[in-house]
Formats: sequence, structure tokens, C-alpha cells
Amino acid sequence: MPPSGPPRSALAKMCQSCHVRPVSTYRTAATGGTRWGSGKGQPVLTTHAPQAAQAVTLPTTLDEAVAALAAMPTAVPVAGGTDLMAAVNSGQLRPAALVGLGRISEIRGWQYQDGHALLGAGLTHARMGRPDFAALIPALAAAARAAGPPHIRNAGTLGGNIASASPTGDALPVLAALEATLIIAGQEGTRREIPVSHLLAGVDMLRGGELIGYVRVPLLHAPQVFLKATGRTGPGRAVASVALVLDPARRGVRCAVGAIAPMPLRPLDAEQWVAQLIDWDNDRAIVPEALNAFGEYVAAACIPDPAPEPDGSVPQLPPAVLHLRRTVAALARRALGRALS
Amino acid sequence: MSNETATAPEAAPAPEQLPHGLGVSLPQADSRAKTEGTFPYAADLWAEGLLWAAVLRSPHPHARIVSIDTTHAREMAGVRAVVTHEDVPGTPRHGRGTADRPVFASEVVRHHGEPIAAVAADHPDTARMAAAAVIVEYEVLDPVTDPEQSFEAEPLHPDGNLIRHIPLRHGDPDASGDIVVEGQYRIGRQDPAPIGAEAGLAVPRPDGGVELYTASTDPHADRDTAAACYGLSPDQVKIVVTGVPGATADREDRGFQLPLGLLALKTGCPVKLTATREESFLGHAHRHPTLLRYRHHADAEGRLVKVEAQILLDAGPYADTSAEALAAAVSFACGPYVVPNAFIEGWAVRTNNPPSGHVRGEGAMQVCAAYEAQMDKLAKKLGLDPAEIRLRNALATGDVLPIGQTVTCPAPVAELLQAVRDFPLPALPKDTPEDEWLLPGGPEGAGEPGAVRRGVGYGLGMVHMLGAEGADEVSTATVKVHDGVATVLCAAVETGQGFTTLARQIVQETLGIDEVHVAPVDTDQPPAGPGCRGRHTWVSGGAVERAAKMVRTQLLQPLAHKFGMSTELLQITDGKITSYDGVLSTTVTEAMDGKELWATAQCRPHPTEPLDDSGQGDAFVGLAFCAVRAVVDVDIELGSVRVVELAVAQDVGRVLNPAQLAARIEAGVTQGVGIALTENLRTPRGRIRHPDLTGYSLATALDAPDIRIVKLVEERDVVAPFGAKSVSAVPVVTSPAAVASAVRAATGRPVNRLPIRPQAAVVTGQ
Repeated sequence: MPPSGPPRSALAKMCQSCHVRPVSTYRTAATGGTRWGSGKGQPVLTTHAPQAAQAVTLPTTLDEAVAALAAMPTAVPVAGGTDLMAAVNSGQLRPAALVGLGRISEIRGWQYQDGHALLGAGLTHARMGRPDFAALIPALAAAARAAGPPHIRNAGTLGGNIASASPTGDALPVLAALEATLIIAGQEGTRREIPVSHLLAGVDMLRGGELIGYVRVPLLHAPQVFLKATGRTGPGRAVASVALVLDPARRGVRCAVGAIAPMPLRPLDAEQWVAQLIDWDNDRAIVPEALNAFGEYVAAACIPDPAPEPDGSVPQLPPAVLHLRRTVAALARRALGRALS
Repeated sequence: MSNETATAPEAAPAPEQLPHGLGVSLPQADSRAKTEGTFPYAADLWAEGLLWAAVLRSPHPHARIVSIDTTHAREMAGVRAVVTHEDVPGTPRHGRGTADRPVFASEVVRHHGEPIAAVAADHPDTARMAAAAVIVEYEVLDPVTDPEQSFEAEPLHPDGNLIRHIPLRHGDPDASGDIVVEGQYRIGRQDPAPIGAEAGLAVPRPDGGVELYTASTDPHADRDTAAACYGLSPDQVKIVVTGVPGATADREDRGFQLPLGLLALKTGCPVKLTATREESFLGHAHRHPTLLRYRHHADAEGRLVKVEAQILLDAGPYADTSAEALAAAVSFACGPYVVPNAFIEGWAVRTNNPPSGHVRGEGAMQVCAAYEAQMDKLAKKLGLDPAEIRLRNALATGDVLPIGQTVTCPAPVAELLQAVRDFPLPALPKDTPEDEWLLPGGPEGAGEPGAVRRGVGYGLGMVHMLGAEGADEVSTATVKVHDGVATVLCAAVETGQGFTTLARQIVQETLGIDEVHVAPVDTDQPPAGPGCRGRHTWVSGGAVERAAKMVRTQLLQPLAHKFGMSTELLQITDGKITSYDGVLSTTVTEAMDGKELWATAQCRPHPTEPLDDSGQGDAFVGLAFCAVRAVVDVDIELGSVRVVELAVAQDVGRVLNPAQLAARIEAGVTQGVGIALTENLRTPRGRIRHPDLTGYSLATALDAPDIRIVKLVEERDVVAPFGAKSVSAVPVVTSPAAVASAVRAATGRPVNRLPIRPQAAVVTGQ
């Protein structure tokens, strides 16, 4: 900026509308009910006590957080707030109280545990996207890097991604392919472990006062791929995504398709079929035609043909669905190709 | 030339050595405050004892209102007033072109989000809850959402469903060419998506009037509408324009401006409203979704013989500026090409879709995408290069438009096209380091180099400047000089187009005074009209220049008289007055002698005439042209498109501020990329499905291509002040067509819909 004389900068700071002074929009909420009607001799009248959304607890351990939630059943836990605060700001959600999880240092890192990584639920996407994490769980790192613009990745967390369980959550197909399990913290220090797919499918729900503490992920020491198709070059929601991991110890391929259904889909038959076509002892070689066929297999498993009509004719899928199926096929083929190359 | 003036770096420029005058990159006065977040917008305003407003909007696109019961809402604690159609003391309808839109729906709702009632309460949440507590009983009707059905449908409005029909007939209807190509095209609904959502503050006045603080872009028209609605005289209503957080369209939605003032008058308290993003999407005007059918006839050399077209604009339920948009669409339906015979039918019809209105380049943008697709088809059929066929038909000064108007302004169309065609192409991904590749789908996307195809396409576009068809385009400005400081008073609103900076430059240039302030805008000043179609650079800039020249004469007249020479022989530079021979030298301060000098002037361009029954007439004051070459990469399996580079050559008349000019072109091109690829407000059955910025994808930094401004043709338009042309709209109009053309070249697919859907860019069965 070039230096500007005092009158010019004064003009810039002054509100264009001289006698109305600028203040922040929600000053009124912060100062509470003292202002309404004052100055006109009217009784102070407000319907909203200044308590709203101001009861914020900031526990420093997981057990404290669980205790705080148990003490206040209406409170909502918040980590990165990338989904929650958008709902608050648009007026769709007015939480009575918040329990902030940002100060719980034990869930913001990871540790190793008999061949697994124990990932804290408070790990941010930005942290997971870094090279040291990518060396450990490459597909999760790729998903984290693809999850929105930098300011969202800086705030959004792994646990939040699971708890929101949005169909387009980028970490979810990776966790499904890795067959990750969740360690849920309950009251009085209790911990229980459930597969991530059970939570996403609603087979096993979080109970009142429970929090996702950790995510247990196997360390496979083999190539992993996460591919996401969006409608644009900039960050966007996935149209479809595919996570594919190799498990050389068990000679398995595990694949999950995200964003096309309410939860990630696992094409188990296609996984087993392609695993036996891979020459595991010879650089994991595969015939190129098998890649194509795998893509088609996965796509057809996730987006099946409509059932034949009683008269035997098979109805056509709508063009948009056909395009989605082609997209899934291309992603699955590319993912396997990259994992095996 | 622009580069020399733009970069004149001095080691440490003292304030008096800042760039000044026309043709230099004077920075905007408020850019620092805006960057730092300290600039106050309407949403930041606050007044003692203010109430908060909320507007109840219709959840149905089409319904009959059986009853409105506000009892529960009125009884809620904290609610101070509830207003409906019954509380409008004045004219119950408003509208930019025709007053056909109710302030509050009374009998029928005609679009999703139409205002029905408004509430003032002591807290924004109370206001919203009270608005939700207004019980409206609807009899839901079938919405008319297909504009083609609108002709046959029951009238949606007492004025009928047809807003305007222009049957343009030019030349010989029996002419035909050796080569005929046909096509049908659809353009989606773009939302202007202003960065700051609408907001306003209404303050009642002791005299029974009201003041509205809002980011209006046409304050005097808004004031007149508001006064009529409140049953007040215009001098009892004042609109004070606050900082405008971005405007590429009619910025403010009167659907809540009007209730705001009503509530303030009713309660006697200041009332404020800040729209949520959802309300913003529901309330303001969108770009007209358009259906176009074309038939182009050309001879064997590719010269156009005849163009036949049908253009159908979906205006939504109210007329707004649709008649003007249709005039632009029909007039520019053939593009900047010489077409001896043209038969264009255009209609703007009512539907129950969200309202359409003025958005940068309306009408011209939709037809550009269609006629450029037709030019690509012709080139393919004739085996000609797409740039070559465009060159063979390019319009030039002296040619006749299909409306019968002769192009008298500079029209360097061929020169622009040659400039973008000859500009070196960007490197292919394989020629750059692998870690710098940005494939379609983004940095962490699924792009596979083997499936990526590159395409190059061209677009030529044109827009008109100022209002058309006899609109009285006038602006008034006042320049005051006192104590070595000049002040400009002009009701032209700074919407980001840079008018305040330009006004400072004009005064600096004319008076040689460096310190120039531009006063805030309110309706106590004389009107300057709306900020659109490059109006303010032309008429308001022209008015400022005239006023400044009058002040100059006042200042120099006594001196000139004293020394027996004419004022033209004196010049003012750096606050000093010198005569041509250097004999006389004095300072401006001395010559002023403590006096205050004022002058007010008007600028009114030459008149235009409406299009007649066969679409003929000298309808436009001026035209601006642009050529764009797009280079895209397409992943032909996923159908994802990345715009690699857009090369722009534009006809600008004269460069007044190089940095600002480049910024306007870049912004326009980016908006164009949005129309081409992602921006489409989906409205299944008339309802806006995702009224938020997650569902509606604006172009981000990663979506924006490299924008190369290849050439700025400075051929002055003699009728325009300074010879300068409007620059913002024409890149918006042209770049979507160029992107579509490039995708066509990459995939071989027809691409006849904007935004381009991935399935339209997929190549199957390779």
C-alpha cells in the first residue's frame, strides 16, 4: 500500500453514512438485554437471555469432556466446527451449550499399538495431510488433502468427519476400506470398540454422553489410493470417491466407494475376485484387462442394473446415473492401477 | 503503453509523487480498509434502540393464499410489529421496468421465496421465530416451470404471461445458403451471489419520513419506489448508500428494503435486517435461463447469408428488466458478425421460477454461447479453422447490425481475434515438471494424464453500453474546491467498478489538485442513475469532468483576465498555475484566495430509439467488443474440465486506470468460467434446492485459469467522455462461449448446454 495522507485514510475508516456508527452485527447478543428500548423510558424487554450459546466448556481430557456432556445432556460437542458452526450461523441450530474438544491434547495426535495406529479423533485434516502421516496411511492422507479448502482442513477433524457421517465425507470410504474401528469413550472412563461401518450403517449408535475418542487403523505397509471425482478443479464435494488399499499379508484388496450412497459401499465380490488375479509374488503383476473388468465389476456392484420388468425387458438407467456408474468404474480402475503400479 | 504507466516504480514515493491523473494505476481509496476488514458495510451498522426484522417468504412456487393469521406472531414477547399486504399505505406494487411485483403477496404467491409478511422484534432470533409463527393457509397450485408451457398456461399474473415479444426481421426472408447448420441450446440460471448478502437499516425521522441505509446501486429509483410504497413524498424518504460488498447485478432486493422502512415507520424505532445466504438466493434477481434455437446459412466460403433464431427467456414471475434483456438478446443474436439477412424471434415469458433480472451482460451472454456454437458447427462442416471462419465474417465500423443500426463506434473485431489467435499457446502438461501438473479435478483429484485431452476454442462477444431504446441516461456531478482540496459529489455508487477512483483521477487531471475526496452517496444529491452497463464511467465520469472544467474556468478566469490571455494558455500542475510561456507562475492556493469554488454539471449521451415492430431501430449508444481464446484440459472419462488459460483481447476505447482495468477483466472472465462450468441454480419444480454456497459452486482460485490480457485496443470512441468504453460486462459475455468451444474441440461432443455437465464432456466408446 502506498502511504496515504491522513484525510484519505480518515475518509476510508469513516462510515459512508456519517451518523450511524459501525459495530459488529451481534454486539447486541453479547451485551445482553440492557439495550433494548432503553433511552425511551420503556421497560427493558428481551426474549433471549444472553446465555444462548455462551455456556461453553473447554475440558482438557477425554474423561472431563464425557463428564461435561453427561452433566449437561443438551450440550453439543464441537471440535473443528466446520459443519456445526455453519448450521449455527444459518440459524438452523441453536445449541444450548457447547463442549469444546479443541483443548484435549490426547486426541490430537496418534500412537502405535500392536501393528495398528491409534489416531486421535481430534486430528485435523491438515495434520493428516502431511508427509509423515502420508507415509503411514497414504489413503487417509490423500483423503485429508482433498477435503475442502485449506481453512476447512485446518479446522475440520477426523472425529468430526465420522460423527457428521455426511455421505460425501472424504475420510469415510478410506476408513471403510481399512476396516477401521472406533474407540468410544463413555462415562467413568469406560471404553468400547466398534467397527466404523457399524456406526455409519446405524447398527451401533453413539449413546448419550459418549464421544469418539480414537480411530484404530491397521498399518498395512502397502500402496493405498484415494481418488475423488468432483465437478470442478477447486475444492468441492465428491461426486464419487474410491478408496483402495492392498493387504499383502492377507493377499487381499479392499475397496470402498464413497459419496454415491448414504454410507461407503464395499464391493466384496469384486475385491475377492481381483485379489486372486494379482500375482502377489511377482511385483503384484496383473493383466491390464483385469483392471478394466475390476472397474466395471465395482461399478455394477455399487450401481446395479434395475430389476427386469415382468415382461422381461430391462429398463435403462437414467443418463445421470449411467454417468455416475462410468465415473465409479473409471475411479476404481485407476485406483487399482495406481496401487499395483 | 499501459505497462509503462502502470509500473513507474520510484524508490520511496512521497505522497505528492503518487500516481495521479488519467491513464495511471491509482489505487482505490478504500482498498486498504476492505482488505483489512475494517470497512463498514450495511450489515455492520447499528443504531440506538434498534429492532431486528425478518421476512416471511413463501415455501411454494405457486399457491393461492387463503388466509394470513398474524395473531400468534403479534402476541410473542419481544415482537413489536408485524406487517402484511394490508399494512402498505401507498402503492402496493413495485418493479424496475413495470410495477408488477407486490410488496407483499396478497392473493397469490408466484415464486419460491416471495415475501408475505415482515416482523420487527427485539432480537433477530425472535424476529425469525415470529415470522415462522405467522400462519399462512395456502392452496397449492401447479407451478409453471417450463417457459415453453407458459404460452399455453393460465395467466400467472393479471398482465398476462408474455412480457415482451420481438420479431426481428432484417433482409430477405427467402435468402438461403449452401451450408445450413442448426442447433438448440440451453443456458442455466446464474446467481450473482454477491459476497456480502443483502442488509439494511431503516431509521425513522422526526418529520414522519424514513432513512434507509443500504447498499443500493440505484438509490434514487429505490427512493422513489420506497416513497410510493409508504405513501410519502420522495423528499421524506432518504436512501444513504453504505459500502457495497460486491455488485454484478441489481444488488439489493427491494423485497426486504421496502418492509424494512414500513416497520421503522410503524414502530418508530430503527429496524435492521441482515439477510442469510438462503434469503439472498431466494430474493434477488438471477440471470435469465434461456432456450435458443438457431439456423445459420452460409455460402461455400463460410460467409454468413442468413441467421434464423428463436430465443426464449425465462423471466420468472415478474417483468423486472426482462424487456431490456430481451432487446439485447435479439439485437446481438448474430454476434459481432456481418449478417445480411436475419430473422430472430424473441420472447420473455412469466414462469413460477425464481425472478430474473439484471445480471452483468444479460441477454448478450446467452446468445453469445449459442451463436458461437453455431460458428463452430459451420467451421466443422466446411472444414475451416474456427478462427478463420470468424475472421471472414467479423463486424467492423460502418457495418449494419440486424436491428438496422449502423456501427459508428470503433469495432476492431478482426484485430481482437487475430491478437488472441496469434498469442502463443500454453505449454502442455507433459512439457512441464510433473509436480506442477494441475489436471482436471484439481491437485488431489482423480485426473489421469492418459485420459486428458486438450482443446482450444474461440469466442467473440459484444455488449451495449448504457441503457438502450430511448432510456434517458443522465448523470449529475458537483465538484467543489476549497483550501487546496477537491471534493466530488455524485450519486454514482461505487460498486467495485472503481468509479470513486476514476472520479479522483478525472479531477486530478483537470484541476491539477492531488487531494480529491469523493463524498458518500445519498439521495439528497441529484440522481446519477443505476450502476450498470458501464454507465458511470461514461455519464457520471463525463459529468465530473465537465464540473471540474467549470471549476477550472472559474479559478483561472480572473488570472487570465488580469494577464490578458485566455484560460487555455494557463496550466495547472502540482498545485501551481503557470502560463504557456512560463512568465506567470502562482499557486492554486494563492489564486483561490480563500474562496470556495463549486460547479455542477450534467452529462447526457445522444438519444436512442426503441426497436419497432420488426425489431429495427438505432437502439444503442455504444458497443464494446471482446475476443477470448480458451484452452481447456478435459478428462474424457470423468468429463471433468479444467480451464488452463483464457487469452483476452478487448476493445476498451482508452485505458483510464490500467490496474483497475485488468482487475475488471479478470473478474469478468472468472465469472464467465463459473457460468461455463459450475454455476447453475437448480430449481426442480420451481423450488431452489440448495440455496447456499456449497450447493452453488462459485469459481475459486483453483478454478480460475491463467488470464492473459493479450491486447487492449485503444481506439477512442469519439462520443464517449475520454473515449473510454465499458470493460466489465463483455468478458462475462464472451468467456463462457470460448470455454464451451474449447471443450467441443477437445471432445468432439456438441456441448449445447451451459454450464457444461460432466456427462456432456465424456467421450465413450473410444
